[in-house]
Amino acid sequence: MHEMSIAMALVEQLQRIAAEQHATRITEVEVRCGVLRQVVPEALELAFCAASAETPAAGALLRVVEEGLRARCRACGQEFEAAIDNYLCPQCRMADVELLAGRDVVLQSVTCETEDRDRAP
Amino acid sequence: MKIKVVESVLKANDAVARENRKRLDAAGVLAINLMSAPGSGKTLLLEKTIPALAPRRCAVLVGDLQTTRDAERLGSVATQVTQINTGTGCHLTATQVAEGLDGLELEGMDYLFVENVGNMVCPAAFDLGEHRRVALLSVPEGDDKVAKYPTLFQAADAIVLTKVDLLGVLDYERQRVYEDLSRINTRAPLLELSSKTGQGLEGWLTWVQQQRQRLCPSRSPG
Repeated sequence: MHEMSIAMALVEQLQRIAAEQHATRITEVEVRCGVLRQVVPEALELAFCAASAETPAAGALLRVVEEGLRARCRACGQEFEAAIDNYLCPQCRMADVELLAGRDVVLQSVTCETEDRDRAP
Repeated sequence: MKIKVVESVLKANDAVARENRKRLDAAGVLAINLMSAPGSGKTLLLEKTIPALAPRRCAVLVGDLQTTRDAERLGSVATQVTQINTGTGCHLTATQVAEGLDGLELEGMDYLFVENVGNMVCPAAFDLGEHRRVALLSVPEGDDKVAKYPTLFQAADAIVLTKVDLLGVLDYERQRVYEDLSRINTRAPLLELSSKTGQGLEGWLTWVQQQRQRLCPSRSPG
């Protein structure tokens, strides 16, 4: 359940953004999860639901977008799409890579309601 | 109103991890994070490793959901041991390690071993500020562990196959581990050993000492 640690960090981030934007409510959150973080979207949603209670993000729709693996071969420099169970360089057949994408969890965007602008008059 | 953010969710953890690494660097301490399934022999390996590294001084941070049993076992061999009980947490975080470091006297230490919570999934996702990551797998777990948990092994700087004294007793095809690693990680050495009989410990100790020499070339070897 590393999803709970991720959800708690995400909620802290959202609380800060809500304060900066003077948002009353966050309605939608988009998160990009690298496949190597092994995030189960349903588990993250459940954890987010628990962690966001009584915060501006409570009830927000969480969209999880998966990010694939991109690697650079340390032996020959070739860049390629790796798979979670296969890091073989197509050029030199070594499996010694530097990861370029697929390892991070990134908050992409936040949709929120603010006191002034988003309320109907 | 939609706001574009693009900010790492785990940047708080990663920032603490960088801070931990800086503290360890400043004290000249090599930190090794040991990760594996429960029962693969992390604690026993440390019980054998730490006395063999003497006169080098070792501190241990050991993570478990409950009990101080591992810390008690390691207390007789390590200079300093701190048990971190994670409660329901299935992995250590950089903040827990930072708190653990607060309780240790790093000056005069040479090695810090971080024994992660036994789990082959979650620990791999969290940088703790370690210098090297070691993934362990034991013979009784079966020869398909690398294929089933590739992420743990992909991120490892060394892979240790423990309990090789059981190879003659169990149907274990070592070749499968090598084949799976050939697709996942050809950089990390696979070190085979038995903490019980001492077989292969020499190779592991050499690897550990080499890592410290690489990190702290100005200090005396080993």
